[in-house]
Amino acid sequence: MNDFMVSLRRNRTRIITLAVFVVLFLMAVGGMSTKDWVITTLRGFSTGAVIFLVAAGFSIVLGLMGVLNLAQGTLYMIGAYVGWSVFVRPDTMVDLITPLALIAAGLLAQPLWGRLLDRLVLPHKVARIWPWVAVILGIALLVFTTARAPLAMWDPEAYSDSPIVWVQMFEAGQISARIQPAEWDGIPPLVGLVALVAGGAMISAGQAGHARRHGVASVSADRKRLPWRTIVIVLALITIGLGAHLGNDSLTAFLLNINRNWLFLIAIVAATLTGGGLGALMEATLIRPLYERHTYQIMLTIGVSFVGIELVRALWGRQGFTMPRPPLFAGTGEGCPATSLVGWLQHQCSTMELTIGGEVARIRTYNELVVPLVGLFVLVAVWLLIHRTRLGMIIRAGVQDSEMVEALGINVRQVFTLVFGLGVMIAALGGIISGPSTGLSTQMGETLLLGALVALAVGGLTSYPGAALGAVIVGLVQQFVIKYGQIGIKIPFLEEPLKPTPPLVPASVIILMIIILVVMPQGLLGKKE
Amino acid sequence: MDNEYLLEVSDIHTYIGQFHILQGVTVRVPMGHIVALLGRNGAGKTITLKSILGLTPPRRGRIVFDGREIHGNRSFDIASMGIGFVPENRAVFRDLSVLENLRIAERSKGDLARKEELIFTLFPDLKRLIKLPGANLSGGQQQMLAVARALVPDNKLLLIDEPSEGLAPVLIEQMMEAIRHLSAETTVLLVEQNFVVASQLASSYVIIEEGQSVDSGEMADLINDPATIHRYLGAA
Repeated sequence: MNDFMVSLRRNRTRIITLAVFVVLFLMAVGGMSTKDWVITTLRGFSTGAVIFLVAAGFSIVLGLMGVLNLAQGTLYMIGAYVGWSVFVRPDTMVDLITPLALIAAGLLAQPLWGRLLDRLVLPHKVARIWPWVAVILGIALLVFTTARAPLAMWDPEAYSDSPIVWVQMFEAGQISARIQPAEWDGIPPLVGLVALVAGGAMISAGQAGHARRHGVASVSADRKRLPWRTIVIVLALITIGLGAHLGNDSLTAFLLNINRNWLFLIAIVAATLTGGGLGALMEATLIRPLYERHTYQIMLTIGVSFVGIELVRALWGRQGFTMPRPPLFAGTGEGCPATSLVGWLQHQCSTMELTIGGEVARIRTYNELVVPLVGLFVLVAVWLLIHRTRLGMIIRAGVQDSEMVEALGINVRQVFTLVFGLGVMIAALGGIISGPSTGLSTQMGETLLLGALVALAVGGLTSYPGAALGAVIVGLVQQFVIKYGQIGIKIPFLEEPLKPTPPLVPASVIILMIIILVVMPQGLLGKKE
Repeated sequence: MDNEYLLEVSDIHTYIGQFHILQGVTVRVPMGHIVALLGRNGAGKTITLKSILGLTPPRRGRIVFDGREIHGNRSFDIASMGIGFVPENRAVFRDLSVLENLRIAERSKGDLARKEELIFTLFPDLKRLIKLPGANLSGGQQQMLAVARALVPDNKLLLIDEPSEGLAPVLIEQMMEAIRHLSAETTVLLVEQNFVVASQLASSYVIIEEGQSVDSGEMADLINDPATIHRYLGAA
């Protein structure tokens, strides 16, 4: 009991602030009809869920590595665009499997070269120069070959072939008829396939040469054994690449004909994995040399986010477009709007009508039910990861003292790459999930990054539950301000109700952050410094 | 391995930023013995341990552990060869429970299960605390946990930094008993300010003065040499 009083006193500010939030929320609710506040709250959770998906990775990466990844918003956007492409143009994805798998096979072959190089005795000068030559030639070969690999794509420059039109065709069910399979451009397929593997292999051989020259080969690894794991992975990737090449047409036809709910699931997986891969790559190549230099990191991640935006503009065009909802959330025909969850699943409705407090509330099944559920799912999954797995244990330990973790024999650098990839992966998942509800545009990342940063500041920078709480608060504030913009706030002594203008939506969030930071500089759930 | 030394540190030079901290440290640790690193505060004892582990990699010099040159390798790689580290600040993970603090040190599955009995024999208190978060432990309990953590994997060498610092006399006694018990199976390189503790545990010593190893030999000889003790370690 005594302990309870002590902790109550210690957390006085926190408790008062949270109480003020509850009161404000109740007041905001009180000014609306029941149906309005239920829907507005659901929308708040929906917005909050997406913000949380971006903020979660942000907070874990910041806590563990001290890196402020301002590219998180752009990577969220890339998740949406990649997911859109897989969903609307599965043939493009199938075309991409072959080059990606073959290049990866070459790149991952690095451990194989070590043994070969051990036998090779080279003059000093040659040993110094050849790795560079190999890497440069490898990159050149890859650029040359990938530009000629078959890839059927949309064209953002021509309206009739632009993503906007492809979405229309998708919704009209005309995709299969419009797709033209692509061919190798000017080089025989066999040469192209070999060149893809060879290009990757040259780069990895060059890197093995570098590593050898600098003597960074592992002492604890057994050099005599064959690297079986690498051999299996490389062979598997080559098989996948060749399989996708030979079975290109049938795989495309299969993906075009399967239930689009499944296709949407594949799109989610593809976008999430792409995000994870990009994140890991970014950490390993760009962030790693800058761990001690925080200012450079910030500049770098901002730079990456601009490059990412331009890349998306080049590939998908400047115009935003919509993403069709999977059929489970798109039905408008008979039995819709549904009046219960069972009715929705039966008729696959886009909306549900529920009677709340004597009024009928229209709830969009995707935006207002599925998106918050995905957020909740990730919240629980990541919590379990952090508290119930060995990786999570290492993360919690590394947040405090990554040097000691390394001294226990744990490859902290690898863990950093993994966690960075994981953070970006969750953000990319947020992108593809929000695609069907908010549409795609090249500004979607910036808007969300702002929300995520505010959520972190409100919840406490490196606190994972804080990220979730902050995100929900930001989402609710935004949605309530939007709703009051429509219905107006009744203020005593004023004839007309006050209507917050749209610019107040982002502004309200910033005001919220300022107030919180003045009252509680460490955020709601953050630890005191 | 017929080499009599488990660890040979030869003339290492370590820089921290611009500062030339270690200016030639040589330490030889025979297999199965306890060697004490002695010297005043700031002489470079802790940095010597960190240099061996590659946490502050030396720029020059050789470090041979278990017959292999380890200088230039990454810390996790060096530690994985069988070196346990008990740092000066104990570095108990505050957000992890005592059990998790031990489990995180496992290098292969079942390490902890094999060592559980030994650990709880040496430090019976830990058994009672097993579910508490590291943040709730007292200084002495943290020190025990830090040593216990280094025992979880099969380490050939333990680097222990100031095990008696800030401990009550009763606990110092317990800690010494534990380290003595350990030396039956492993080799220990010990940094210790408390000469009484060091002289009772170690069989040989190395003295570091201003980043250089200036003297070494058998502990028995040092105990009978008050002049040397006074010169390098201040009052004995």
